[in-house]
Order: sequence, then structure tokens, then C-alpha cells
Amino acid sequence: MTGLINAVPTDKPDEYRNVFVFLETRKGSVVKSSLEMIGIGREIADKVGEKLVCVIIGNHLEPMAEEAAKYGCDKVLGAESPDLEDFKTMPYAHYAAEFISEEKPNIFLIAATHDGRDLASRIAVKSRTGVTADCTVIDIDPKERILLANRPVYGESTLAEILCKNHRPQMATARPGVFKVPDRVDGKNCEMDIRKVKVDPDLIRKEIIGFRPKEEFDITGADIVVSGGIGLGKKEGFSMLQELAEELGGVVGASRPAVDVGWIERDHQVGQTGRVVRPKLYIAAGISGKAQHIVGMKLSDVIIAINTDPDAEIVKYSDYFINDDVYNAIPAILKEIKKLKGEKVEEITT
Amino acid sequence: MALEIVVMIKQVPDSQEVEIDPVTKTLNRMKARNVLNVADDNALEAALSIKDKVDAHITIVSMGPPMADEAILECMGKGADRGILLTDRAFAGADTYPTGLTLAAAISKLDHFDMIFAGEETSDSSTGHVGPGVAEFLGIEQITYTQSVRFEDGYVIGERELEDGVEIVKAKPPVLITVRLGSNIPRRQTLRKKIDALRKGVESWTLQNLGIPPEWVGFKGSPTVVRSMKTIKEKERSAKRITIEEIGQMVKELSDSGVLKMEVKEQ
Ligand SMILES: Cc1cc2nc3c(=O)[nH]c(=O)nc-3n(C[C@H](O)[C@H](O)[C@H](O)COP(=O)(O)OP(=O)(O)OC[C@H]3O[C@@H](n4cnc5c(N)ncnc54)[C@H](O)[C@@H]3O)c2cc1C
Ligand SMILES: Nc1ncnc2c1ncn2[C@@H]1O[C@H](COP(=O)(O)O)[C@@H](O)[C@H]1O
Repeated sequence: MTGLINAVPTDKPDEYRNVFVFLETRKGSVVKSSLEMIGIGREIADKVGEKLVCVIIGNHLEPMAEEAAKYGCDKVLGAESPDLEDFKTMPYAHYAAEFISEEKPNIFLIAATHDGRDLASRIAVKSRTGVTADCTVIDIDPKERILLANRPVYGESTLAEILCKNHRPQMATARPGVFKVPDRVDGKNCEMDIRKVKVDPDLIRKEIIGFRPKEEFDITGADIVVSGGIGLGKKEGFSMLQELAEELGGVVGASRPAVDVGWIERDHQVGQTGRVVRPKLYIAAGISGKAQHIVGMKLSDVIIAINTDPDAEIVKYSDYFINDDVYNAIPAILKEIKKLKGEKVEEITT
Repeated sequence: MALEIVVMIKQVPDSQEVEIDPVTKTLNRMKARNVLNVADDNALEAALSIKDKVDAHITIVSMGPPMADEAILECMGKGADRGILLTDRAFAGADTYPTGLTLAAAISKLDHFDMIFAGEETSDSSTGHVGPGVAEFLGIEQITYTQSVRFEDGYVIGERELEDGVEIVKAKPPVLITVRLGSNIPRRQTLRKKIDALRKGVESWTLQNLGIPPEWVGFKGSPTVVRSMKTIKEKERSAKRITIEEIGQMVKELSDSGVLKMEVKEQ
């Protein structure tokens, strides 16, 4: 326990070296957002010629540690015990803080998932240092080795750069889905230091008594999202979008009113009160482009809008704008895709 | 003995009304009305629904400027029993570390506590780090991101919302609980409770009441500093207008640039 005590500037910040990344695990595997942390962690460690160390806490860690190593770290540091099987804040924070005092990392990155945020500020307080929440841009000043932690504020309108100059480690949580997962490469060199620990019973104060897996359809991971709005005019319009989505290997999204009138289930809704997606391709069919919808899809790589209204707001968010009826445009896209695939088949077979 | 519950609340600028100053690019808080942070209203409701069932006493603790007593009075109007505002020039400019420290120092001055409620995050700083920080200073366990909380046979049972499902956690008090935004429907104030609240008033505590050094709190006690603020530029898009006849060309462009993967099953 930390007690009521202040944050203290570190005497010799130069003694703090290397980048720590926390590996969050679920049901025996490392979660994707932690692999993203390996990606950005590797980048900043390389910029200053330091090591990347992955911290993992739980039970039966070896397969997960081996797996993480394939994404590129120099060392995996683990605390393993049957008592650590489930995520429990106090013992997890305890071991993470112990690893910090032992290894003195300069930087510690944690994915800003619910468990990640649950843990991050407790580790920071234990280490009497600062932590910047939910960063979307992370860099390092190569000379001073100061972490440049940037986070969106004021409803994503402004990016604030936050520094923790005098305290170590410099900690940040980083938004899932923003940083890239590095390529997985077999046979990388990585030091394994996984310790069997005996957890102080006083740290075990909560018990996980159940879990209900999410049954919702999840549109957030898809590379292609084909969304429909009120402009579809009828429920059957979504069957047409479904056919296109399947042809493209994507999923169907929707505006809120299309969900409200019952054309499609709520878990397909994109926007402020739905899901935020950032696919490679977003198709907005019969969607006007109101602000609450735009926040859910504006980070897509390419946006195609189909709308009969030449002045619809969606136009300025589109890369391609088809000013026509959805019932003309969608079948035409489908036809062209089938045609192009047909040509490719011919190329292979002839 | 009555269950002692603390609810940590913050008064924030109404996010519907906040304007960004086009020149300085900073938040123009002066124009916005101040309101109770919505997730904190949900946290209070979670606490009140426990008080509906068992004998409990609820204390509101908030750190903020003197006008934040309005938000505390609102909570008392809904059924909280006591309100404490931590207000002192020395507290200004705090990041999450000294904010948690100041709140924890105040809570530890109370005779006793069984549960501490906080919102999952505030709308103005949205870190979600203050609640867990307080739990760490006080050396207690926490259940974060709950969508429901109950108190049964001496245990707190919270359902935590995670990325892949809902985790059900059981803990013995004392425990800190953070509550999901929108996870319940906060009740309204009643006229009687409002009048009671005004009669009781809000206690005002300064740094002196907490007995911690001035350099531990506020801006001086903050390990992080904001170096710069930049407006986030929207990605420029060309809005290339195309006809139905040009769709073939578009599909080809998207395929060539790798946006569309024309996976062809080998025959
Ligand atoms: C607090 C709050 C939260 C909200 N959250 C969300 C949210 O998460 N997601 C969301 O989507 N909305 C949300 N909304 C609603 C949002 O403000 C808009 O009302 C909604 O996005 C509009 O949906 P739409 O584009 O399908 O319908 P409309 O605005 O009615 O637009 C239909 C469009 O289709 C075009 N059209 C009509 N016929 C055709 C045709 N045959 N072919 C092609 N185009 C055609 C029209 O020109 C028009 O542009 C929210 C609103 C509030 C107040
Ligand atoms: N100044 C404050 N006074 C009281 N409670 C606070 C204060 N700041 C944050 N909190 C509590 O901590 C939660 C998380 O806040 P934050 O970490 O700022 O997102 C809030 O929902 C409040 O319950």
C-alpha cells in the first residue's frame, strides 16, 4: 500500500532505461491491444537504442510469453501463480510495481482497455510517478528520452501533448485500435524470465465469480463496412447490403434511425451511441452524414457515399461520391466486383 | 451499524455547451454551464439504490472551486446525507496523482468507510484514473467499470463491463467501485430533500483540514504537464463525384491500391 504520499521526482533519471509494455491476457492469450503496445513500444525503444521488456502476470504464462516474443521484444518478465489466474487489481499492481523498482524502466506503456486503466494509475501511484491516459500519438525525444504522450481532449477536437519530465517511469495508457500490431515472426531471440511467485494472501481481496461472454455481433474489427441509412427506404435494402458485404468479406453497419425503425439490430449501429469503426473501406448508402454518425466512421481509410441529395453532408467526408439511388449504385458495385474477380480467375486459369 | 458510503463527484462544464475558442484553441469554459459529471450521477444512483435497501449513510466528497457546492447540493437533494467540498487555491491545476491524493486524504479523515463510489471517468479530463488512484492511496481493492452493483450478505458484488463480456466480481468492504456512464437512470431531487440539503449546507475543507504539505497538491504536486495543444485536423477528402458508369473504374482503383482484396479461390 502506498499510503498518503506525494509523487516524487526521480533523483537520477539517467539510470532509468528501457521500455516496459504490459501484456494483458484473456483466456490464455495475449489481447490484440497489447500486441499494439509491443509495436509502438518497439518503435520508441529503437529510437533511443534501448530494450523492450514485456511484463506479464497470470498463470501458465509460457505459451503466451513465447507468442508475444514473436512480435518483437527483448525480454519477457513474468510473475506466475495460480492465485494470479484471474485479473485482480491489487496483486497485479503489486508485481508490476516490483518489476519497476527492480528494473527501473524509463517508459511503461499499457493498453487503455478497462483492465489496463484499472491497473495503470495504481501502478503509477505505487511508483510515485505520473501517467497520461488514452494516448493516440506516442513518440520520444531522442536526446532527453522524454516520452511525448499525446491524447485527444475536448471531444476529440484537440490533441494535448503531455510530458512527465521529472518522474520515472514515464507512464501512458494508449487507445486500443490506434497503433499497429507488428508482423509475427518465428524464432526471434528473446530472454525469458518468468518467476513462480507466492502471492501475499492479504493482496487477494476479490474473487471473480462469473463471466458472461459478449454475444453481440462486433463490427469494430472489420476491414470493410457497408452501412445503410434511412435512404434505403425499406428493410429489404439491408439484404442487398449484406450481399455486397459478403462479396467483399466485410460486415453491415447502419445509422441509428435505420436501427430505430427495426430494419437491423442495434449491434450494427455506427456512431456516437453505436460503435466507432475504422475500416479500410466504409460505404455509406442512404446516410445523410449527421455529426453523430460521422464520429463513428470518419477515421476510415476510404469512404464511398451514395446519396440522391447532391448537397448531403456526407459528401464532404467522402472520397468517392455517387450521386444516385442506392438501388442503382449498390447492384452496380456488386456487378463490377464480380466482374473483376472473374477476370482474375481467368488470369489464373489461363 | 449503518453502512458508510462515500461518493466522489466532480462538477464539469456541460459538454453540450463547451466551445473551443477559435483563436486560442483552448476550451472556453466561461460560456458553458457547470453540471454534475454524468457518470458521477450514475455512481450516486448506484449508491442510493444500496441505501434504498439497507441502512446506509452517504457522504459526497468533491474537490473543486467554491461554486462546485451546487453540484454537491444536487446530490444531497437526491438523497445523500452529507456534503464536503475540498476547496483551496493550492488544489488548482492538479493532474490525476494529486487529485487522488487530496480526495484520499479527505476520505481518510472520515471516521469510517465501507464503500467509495466514483464515475468511470469525467467528461472534461476523461482519464478514469482518479478512482483507482484513491483506492491505491487508501490501500483498498476496487471494482471498476461496473454496470450494476449490489450489496449482499456483507459482500459487494459488481458486474464489470469488459471488452469481451461481463465479469462478476465479489469483494468484502472496504472497496472502491467505479460506475459506467449511463448504466442506470439517476433519480431526481425531491423538494423535501432539497430543502434539507440547503438547511444542512455543504462543509468546506481547505488544505489545512487535510494535514498534507502544500507542495503535494495542485499544480506543484503534479508529475505531468501539458506542453502543447493542437487542433486535430480532419482528413481532407476529395469527394470525387462519379456516375454509375464510372463504378467499374472506382472498383479497379480500390483493388489496385489494396483497399479491396479480390480474393480469388483457386479452382
Ligand atoms: C444524442 C444523439 C445520438 C445519436 N447517435 C447516433 C449514432 O450513434 N449513429 C447515427 O447514425 N445517428 C445518431 N444520431 C442521429 C443522427 O443525428 C441522425 O439523425 C442520423 O445519423 C441520420 O440517419 P440517416 O442518415 O440514416 O437518416 P437521414 O438523415 O434521414 O438521411 C437519409 C439520407 O438518405 C438519402 N436518400 C434518400 N433516399 C435515397 C435513395 N433512394 N438513395 C440514396 N440516398 C437516398 C437522403 O438524401 C438523406 O441524405 C444521434 C442523435 C442524437 C441526438
Ligand atoms: N475533483 C474531483 N473531485 C471529486 N471526484 C473526482 C474529481 N476528479 C475526479 N473524480 C472522480 O473520479 C472519477 C474519474 O475521473 P477522471 O479520472 O478525471 O476521469 C470521476 O468520475 C469522479 O468520480
